[in-house]
Amino acid sequence: MSRISISLTVNGERTEVETEPREHLADLLRGRLMLTGTHVGCEHGVCGACTVEIDGVPARSCITYAGSCDGASVRTIEGFGDDTVMAALREAFMQEHALQCGYCTPGMLVAARDIVLRLPEADEARVREELAGNLCRCTGYRGIVRAVLGVLAARRPRSGHV
Amino acid sequence: MKPAVFSYARPKSWSDAVKLVASGARAGAGTQSLGPLLNLRLAQPDMIADLRHLPDYAGVVVSGGVLRIGAGTTHAAIEDGAVPGRTGEIMAGVARRIAYRPVRNRGTIGGSLAHADPAADWVAVLPALGGTAIALGLRGERRVPLAGFVTGIFETALASDELLRAVEVPTLPAGVRWGHWKFCRKVGEFSKVTACVLSVPGTAPRAVLAALDRPPLVIEDASALLDDTEAEAARIVSAFPELGEWRRAVAQTALRKAVAAVKQP
Amino acid sequence: MTAEPGGLGVGASPRRKEDARFLHGRGRFVADITRPGMLEVAFLRSPIAHARLLAVTKPAGQEKRVFTIADLDGIGTIRANSALPGFRVSEQPALAKDKVRHVGEAIAACVAESRAAAEDLAAICVLDYEALPAVSDMRTACSPTAPLLHESWSMNAFLETRRDDDVSGLDAIAAAKVTRTLRTSRQCMAPIEGRGVLAEWDPRLEQMIVTTSTQMPHVTKSGLADCLGLDEGQVRIVSPDVGGGFGYKGILLPEEIVCASLAIRLGRPVRWLEDRFEQLTAANCREHHYVITAWADRAGKLLGVECDAIVDAGAYSSYPFGACLEAAQIGSILPGPYILPLLRCHTVSACTNKPPILPYRGVARTGVCYAMETTLDALARQLGIMPQAIRLANLVPATAMPYRNLVGKVFDSGDYPESLRRAVAAIDVDKIRARQAAGETVGFGLATFCEQGAHGTSVYHAWGIPFVPGFEQAYARLAPDGVLELRVGVHSHGQGLETTLAQVAHEILGIHPDQVRVVHGDTALTPYSTGTWGSRAMVMAGGAVAEACRQLAERVAAIGAALMQVSGADVRVADGKVQRTDTDGFVTIADVARTWYRTPQNLPPGVNKGGLEVTAGYRPDPDTGTHSYACHAVVARVDTETGAVVLEDYVVVEDGGKLVNPMIVDGQVMGGLAQGIGTALYEEMPYDTEGQPLAATLADYLLPGTTDVPDVRLDHMETLSPWTTFGQKGIGESGAIGPPAAIVNAINDALAGLGAEVMDLPASPSRVLAAIQAARAVKA
Repeated sequence: MSRISISLTVNGERTEVETEPREHLADLLRGRLMLTGTHVGCEHGVCGACTVEIDGVPARSCITYAGSCDGASVRTIEGFGDDTVMAALREAFMQEHALQCGYCTPGMLVAARDIVLRLPEADEARVREELAGNLCRCTGYRGIVRAVLGVLAARRPRSGHV
Repeated sequence: MKPAVFSYARPKSWSDAVKLVASGARAGAGTQSLGPLLNLRLAQPDMIADLRHLPDYAGVVVSGGVLRIGAGTTHAAIEDGAVPGRTGEIMAGVARRIAYRPVRNRGTIGGSLAHADPAADWVAVLPALGGTAIALGLRGERRVPLAGFVTGIFETALASDELLRAVEVPTLPAGVRWGHWKFCRKVGEFSKVTACVLSVPGTAPRAVLAALDRPPLVIEDASALLDDTEAEAARIVSAFPELGEWRRAVAQTALRKAVAAVKQP
Repeated sequence: MTAEPGGLGVGASPRRKEDARFLHGRGRFVADITRPGMLEVAFLRSPIAHARLLAVTKPAGQEKRVFTIADLDGIGTIRANSALPGFRVSEQPALAKDKVRHVGEAIAACVAESRAAAEDLAAICVLDYEALPAVSDMRTACSPTAPLLHESWSMNAFLETRRDDDVSGLDAIAAAKVTRTLRTSRQCMAPIEGRGVLAEWDPRLEQMIVTTSTQMPHVTKSGLADCLGLDEGQVRIVSPDVGGGFGYKGILLPEEIVCASLAIRLGRPVRWLEDRFEQLTAANCREHHYVITAWADRAGKLLGVECDAIVDAGAYSSYPFGACLEAAQIGSILPGPYILPLLRCHTVSACTNKPPILPYRGVARTGVCYAMETTLDALARQLGIMPQAIRLANLVPATAMPYRNLVGKVFDSGDYPESLRRAVAAIDVDKIRARQAAGETVGFGLATFCEQGAHGTSVYHAWGIPFVPGFEQAYARLAPDGVLELRVGVHSHGQGLETTLAQVAHEILGIHPDQVRVVHGDTALTPYSTGTWGSRAMVMAGGAVAEACRQLAERVAAIGAALMQVSGADVRVADGKVQRTDTDGFVTIADVARTWYRTPQNLPPGVNKGGLEVTAGYRPDPDTGTHSYACHAVVARVDTETGAVVLEDYVVVEDGGKLVNPMIVDGQVMGGLAQGIGTALYEEMPYDTEGQPLAATLADYLLPGTTDVPDVRLDHMETLSPWTTFGQKGIGESGAIGPPAAIVNAINDALAGLGAEVMDLPASPSRVLAAIQAARAVKA
C-alpha cells in the first residue's frame, strides 16, 4: 500500500488527498495543498517551524504522517482569518519587531496563540519556557517574548477593583 | 530527509492491532519519538499500525487503588490533570517538562515508554512510581513490572508480537514525598541524568537513576541513600565507570537533589 | 506602514514593510516555489572523510536518474583563489572526482519526482572506495606525516601568515605576562531555512534561471556562469525570501552548479532543498586554536602580544570568500580597539577532512575577540586590577580619532572608553563582589571590541579573492503614478532593507514609505552588487539609494519648477512635493511623474533626457570601513555542582553611528547576541578522529532558545561616522562578536576564587565542571 487516500479538513475546508503514507503533514500541506506558510525547519521535531494546529491544538507537522491525519482537522497560518487572538499577536509581533527573516514566524505564532489561550496568567518565565520549542535564529527572542506578554496583558481584565 | 517507504494501517480493534504487530508492523501512536527516526531513515518499518483510534487507547481508569492509564494518553493530557490525585500531581509535573507542548499534544505515555529511549522521562519516572505495564499479545494481556520494563537502549520486555496497552500506577496517598531532578542544558532537551525518589509513608523509599545510556537503575529500597546521601550516591554512581567524569558528577548531584526534595519540609 | 509618531525617515522606527507577508504565511521562500515538470534532487554523499573513490554503481534500470561527475562533463571546479602570497588553491569539484575529502561531500545526484523517491535512489547506489587516513585535527594537519588532502600540495595548509614584530625584550620589562591556550568550537551557521536551489533552463532566452536562497545573488551569478561555461548574461539568479543567511548563504554551492547542469541536460526544472541533516554535517564555520601571550606594564598597559593561531579551514576553499577568511584576518583584528605597540602573529589556515569553513556572522572577530579579551582578563587578574581598568588603560581614546593602528586599520570615530564606562556603570559591580565574598560563584565579565563594516576596494583588493567590492549602485525610478521604485543588488533576509531603504528615500524625497517599493534579489532586475555581507548593506546601499534619490530630486525639481513657471533655484523637494520657497505653491512629485510619462508636451525645454530613472553609485571616502564598537557586560552565575551557567544580566552599549532605524538595529544586535550566546555556551559540532561529524540533529547541535537568551539591556551611543551618508556604521555582526568573550570572562571571574579558568568554547557544563575539578585537584 504505497499510496493512500485520506480525507481531512484544512482551514475549515474538507479535502481529499491522495498521498504516500510516508509523507509528513508539512509536505502534504505545502506540496499538495499549496499552503506554503507552514515551514520545514529540521524535520525532527525540534525547531518548531512546522507547528500547525491539529484537532485544535498545536503539533509538529514534520513528524505527523499523512495516514494519521485521515479525519483530522488542521489549521495552518493561512487559516486564522479574523481570529482575534491571532490578529492581536500579529499586531504585537510588528510592534515589538518579533520577526526578521520570517521563516520561524508562522510556527511561532501558532505556538504563541496556544500559550495566550491556555495560560492566561503566564509570566515572562513561563512564556519563555513554553516557547522554548520554537527556534528563531534572527531575533534573539526579545521581541517575540515581549509581543506574547503584551497580548496576554491586554487580555487580562483590568485590575484595580476588588 | 524523508522516510523510506512504509504502508499504513489503522486497526479498528485491539486484536487486529496485535495481529498487525505480530506480523511485523511497527506500532505507532503520536510518532513523536518514531518520527525523527523515520525521517532520518534510522527506522525503516514496512508498516506502521496506527493505534490512535483504538477503543480506550487514551484515558485513565481508577479502580481499587490503581490508576490504569491508557497507553495512548498524551503527555499534554497528563500535564493538564488527566491523572487524578497525588499521583496525577506528580505525573503532571513530569509531563510538563517533556519536550515541548506541541510534541506533548501528540506524544503518548505508552509510545514514549515502548520506544524506550533511555533519556526519556517516563522511562525514568514510572519505575519510581512503581507499577505495571500491561502488554497485550495474541494470547491476551500480560503484566510486566515497570521496574523491569525497559531492558536496554530502545529495548523493552515486550515480545515482538506484543503491544503496550496501558500502564498501571498506584494511587499514592497525599502524604508521599516525591523528588525528581533531571539535567537538561536546554528546556525540552532530552535529559542527561535523571534521578527520582519516591517516599511513601510506611514503606521503604524507592529511587531511580536514569538517562545514563542504559536502562534505568531502580533501587527498591533506597533507605541508605536517604540516610547517608553523599556516600551512597557516590557508591551508586561508581558502578558506572563508562560514564565520563561530568556525567558521574551530575548523576551524584541528581541523586542528592532528588533526595533533598523528598526531605524538604 | 502607517504614520508613526517618530517619523518615517532616517532615525525613525516605523514598522517594517515586510512584516505583513510573513505574519500571514505569505513569504515566498525557495521551497515554496514549484514548476511544472520539476524534478527533485537528493545527493549521494560521502559517508567517509577521506577516501579514493573507485566506483559508483547506479541502481539497475535507474541509471539515467543518477548522475556522477562523469555524467556532467564540461562543468568546472570551484576555485576561490587569493592573491595572498603562498596561497594554495584547491579544486572543489561540484561532485566528487577521484577522491572524497569530507563526510557529506556530494558524490552523485539522484533525480526523481519527489525528494523521498530521490532519496530512495541514493540509498541503493553502491559506493566503492578505498579509505584513506583522515586528517581530523588542525593541530597535526601540517605535520610531515599527515596524509595530504590535495596531493599536489606540500602540506595541508591553504596559507600561513606572519607578522614578526620583535617581542623578545618584553619579558625583561613587563610587570605581567600571561600565556593562554584557547579554542573555539566548530560551529554551524544554522539558519532556520536551509539552502535551496531551483534551476530551470529557458530555451528561448538561452538562459539559466536559478532561484536560490542566497544573500549575494550577483556574485553567485558570476561564480555559476564561470563553472557552467556560460556567459554572465546567460545566468539569472533570483533570490526570493531567504530564511536567514548569516554568511552561509553567500557561498556558491556545488549543489547550485549540479542543479543548473542537470536542468540543462534534462530539459526540466530541477530542485534541491537542503535538509537539516545535510546542513549540520556539511556547513561549518569557525574553529580556532590559539596560543597567545600578552605582556603589560604595572598599570595594565599592553606592551605586546604574540599569537600562534590555527583555523581549521576544512577541505576546500569555498567561493567567493576562500579558505583564509578567518585565519588571515587574525593578525589584523587582534589589536581590537586597543593601542597595541607590538604584535607578533603567525596563522595557519589548516586543510583538514572536514567540510570547508564558511563565513558566519562575526567572521574571525568572534574568535579573535575571545582570545584577546580573555587574555586581557588573565593579565588583569595577574596584576590584581579590575577588568575595566586594564581596558581603559589601552582603549583608543576619542581624542585620537580617526586612529590608524599598528596593522593599518583606521577607526573612523567614536568614544570607546565611554562605551565601557557606561556598560560597567549599568552593572552593580560592588554587589557582585559582595556576593562573591559571601561564597557565591557569580562573576561579571566584559568584552570591548570594534567591528569593521562596509570596508571596500582599498581593503579587499589586496586579498585578491574572486570579487572586490567597488562602488555600490542603486536604481531609482518614479513610476507614472508617483510610486518610487528602488532596485538594489544587496539582499534583505531579515535586516529589513525593504523598510530602511524606503526610509532613506523618504528622508531625501519625502515620499511616504508606503509609496516606495524596494526590489531586490534578482540579478535581472537589480544593479550589480557584491551583496549583503560584511555589515555593509546599510552603509553602501543606503548611501547609493540616498544618492540616487538626490539625483532624482534634482530632475523632479527642474520639472516641477517649470510646471510652476519659476526658476529651479526657487524650489525645493520635500514631503513628496516640489515646493516654492517664496510662496505656498507646490506640485506633487506624482504630478511631475504624470507630466513626464503622460503629458510630455508640458515638459520644459532642456529637460534632462534621462527622465525619472536614475542609477547612482556610491562609495564612502575613504572606504576603509566604518568601525562600530561595543562593550558587552555580563553577570553570570555558575552552578559548581553541574557546571551549568546562568546569565543573570546582560548589558550592551553599542555605537553604530546614526541608527537609520533604531528598532531594527536593536533587532540586529539582539539576534547576533543570541548567536554569540550559542557560541559561548551551546554550539559545537564535534568530529571524531575519523572525521565523522557527531551532531546530526538539532537535538545534538544546540541552538539557543527562548530560555537561553536573557532580556538584554541595550544602550546606544550615536557617534556619526564622518565618512558615510548619514553617519551610519555597519552593525549587523556586532552582536555575535562579544558574547563568548564577555560570558567566559564572567565565568572565570566567578571561578577565580576557586582558581579555575575556562579556556575552550563552548563553556558547556562539562567543560566548566572540568575546570573546577582540575583546580580542586591542584589545590588538593
